[in-house]
Amino acid sequence: MTTCIPAGSGNLHYSSALSKGHGCRKTSWVSGIALKRSTQKELSWSCSVSKFLRFQRCNFSQSPFGDNQKPLRTVTSSCLRDGSTKYFDFAVIGSGVAGLRYALEVAKHGTVAVITKDEPHESNTNYAQGGVSAVLCPSDSVESHMHDTIVAGAYLCDEETVRVVCTEGPDRIRELIAMGASFDHGEDGNLHLAREGGHSHHRIVHAADMTGREIERALLEAVVNDPNISVFEHHFAVDLLTCQDGSDTVCLGFDTLNTETLEVIRIISKVTLLASGGAGHMYPTTTNPPVATGDGMAMAHRAQAVISNMEFVQFHPTALADEGLPTKPAKSRENAFLITEAVRGDGGILYNLGMERFMPSYDDRAELAPRDVVARSIDDQLKKRNEKYALLDISHKPREKILSHFPNIAAECLQYGLDITRQPIPVVPAAHYMCGGVRAGLQGETNVQGLYVAGEVACTGLHGANRLASNSLLEALVFARRAVQPSIDHMKSSKHDPSASNWWARPVVPLVLASDAMNKVEKMTREVRKELQSIMWEYVGIVRSTTRLEFAEQKIGELEGKWEDYLFQHGWEPTMVGLEACEMRNLFCCAKLVISSALARHESRGLHYTIDFPHLEESKRLPTVIFPCSSVKSTWSSRQLSRQPL
Amino acid sequence: MASKLGRLFSSISTLSAPKLSLSNSKSYPLAWSVSDSASRLICSATQQPQPLNENTNKQQADETTKNDIQKESEDDHQEEEEDEDDDDFVNKATGEVGGPRGPEPTRFGDWERNGRCSDF
Repeated sequence: MTTCIPAGSGNLHYSSALSKGHGCRKTSWVSGIALKRSTQKELSWSCSVSKFLRFQRCNFSQSPFGDNQKPLRTVTSSCLRDGSTKYFDFAVIGSGVAGLRYALEVAKHGTVAVITKDEPHESNTNYAQGGVSAVLCPSDSVESHMHDTIVAGAYLCDEETVRVVCTEGPDRIRELIAMGASFDHGEDGNLHLAREGGHSHHRIVHAADMTGREIERALLEAVVNDPNISVFEHHFAVDLLTCQDGSDTVCLGFDTLNTETLEVIRIISKVTLLASGGAGHMYPTTTNPPVATGDGMAMAHRAQAVISNMEFVQFHPTALADEGLPTKPAKSRENAFLITEAVRGDGGILYNLGMERFMPSYDDRAELAPRDVVARSIDDQLKKRNEKYALLDISHKPREKILSHFPNIAAECLQYGLDITRQPIPVVPAAHYMCGGVRAGLQGETNVQGLYVAGEVACTGLHGANRLASNSLLEALVFARRAVQPSIDHMKSSKHDPSASNWWARPVVPLVLASDAMNKVEKMTREVRKELQSIMWEYVGIVRSTTRLEFAEQKIGELEGKWEDYLFQHGWEPTMVGLEACEMRNLFCCAKLVISSALARHESRGLHYTIDFPHLEESKRLPTVIFPCSSVKSTWSSRQLSRQPL
Repeated sequence: MASKLGRLFSSISTLSAPKLSLSNSKSYPLAWSVSDSASRLICSATQQPQPLNENTNKQQADETTKNDIQKESEDDHQEEEEDEDDDDFVNKATGEVGGPRGPEPTRFGDWERNGRCSDF
């Protein structure tokens, strides 16, 4: 089967591809902004994407720009300006478990750059404290892990992907141990395996309660000691650098901004792995660290990569709501404090601000209903009553019990004047994980040649409509490893063209902007981010509706226009880059992807719930796929910096 | 049960996006439709972890070295706070060494320590 994705065109054709795989065979197609539904053809997840990958060299003598592109007049002047370009065989965007695991492997075959926008340990991985799931017990089985994954994913998972991940997981864990990661074990010296919700067997490997941090530590140590790997801290990836090879888009590297020195560094790499993590900061309350602004998903979308299943955003129902604390924290909390289900399990009761207990009206199990039911119920109450948070009350239980079981919550709340043995805890749902992302085949390949993805930024088909606990670290490990061989093969068939660095206009730092213009731009950007987050929470939250989604689409479109106008009115130019501005354009991009996807799904499944289509529809059991398309009205946020009109 | 869902949220559609009204409608017995998500499993049984078949000579050698290093750091560790998890702490119920003290973190399905949830 061949796929043609001409850049700049909204038409995509799939020739016949009948595969006999199980699971999801059809896709529901969403083309860019127009939201047209193309004819559905049968194709299997892995088949379609793997066919995109061709080991052809990009014909470098060809102009990197399509016919309908004007040559950029700044190209010549950029060459004369002193800009730094670095050449690598492999380049990785992101330093979480996926990025580092991949880097260590490919470093055996060539030079590697690892780009990370903050300190290397700042990633969602580091905050993944639970564990990583794998079949490591003889009484467990790959089939059982698969079954649990597929059930949790509301049957939207790709069966082949699930099989691959569950099968290869155990080996990936063993490798981590060999690399020095230290997991908890039993007295008999064997790994201690815990059992989390949704799993039928004990299969969670963990390191006390900081598994992610331990894995990150072990991998980072190995990376730092590897002479072939160069880590670029505080380097923010701006946009991928792509060219057309016939109808194929090829990735040749990317531009980065050193946020400390404010220097633009161009990375030319034969292979690029996108491992940039999640996008929790589309929402006002999130467990994600500040780096999670959906950079990779946005860059990939702008580079014509296919995006999938963005509507499936995982929320936790009960994060500590700072606005409900008697004394507000001086600094706004960077990542949410999640209140465990154990509080409800031990008898905690949920109330709205009118002190009405609402759970019994949503579910017979009341507070003990499944987590997603609780999340929806709280969201529903907040929207109906226009309130900012709900209340979780455990104060009717004995004081000693509360303090011995939940000392962490007690201490945290006491800091801000709340005594949980006497008062209810203010709670609000928090965005936690993106099940969707850049569509990946079984080797982590995308429809852009030379571009691979792994980890939370990818949509591999593993999670389906909802992620099973502890499967995310596993997915990252498996796909990072699987992308290695195809990357090596692609690298070997590629050659650096020394003139490639000059094919795209360089991003520039806004030095020409007067400092008060810059201050105004930064201030406006901060306000716009808050407003975007507010719109997303209000209208693209847990309980959705077509009306609210369309309203969000409209509001966000207006907000984006208003923000971009403001920037350009204050002297900002289309090729200018700054951390806040670039993160903002990525957040806009991701928000629109979430909304488009949510509007396209005419059923409720897993994490996506909409009152207009409140039931599961077997005929709709398809991934949501967004193809790029050029639109007349494209915005600054939706175009690569090198393709801005001048 | 499924039809109640529609009724439950029909009041949301009256909160048409441009004008969000404060709807203090009385809650009436409605329920969510059954979701496909896995129901919460309460971890009760303690299962004996089984051997991880990893016995190459190299690995044994590595482990011996690691154990030596670990022992050294453990000796240093003993001096530190008692309320932190002791590397030698053995959980009587699960046989886990060096794990979290107190109730099983996954007993309600999520991963919790002292009330804070970090995975679910």
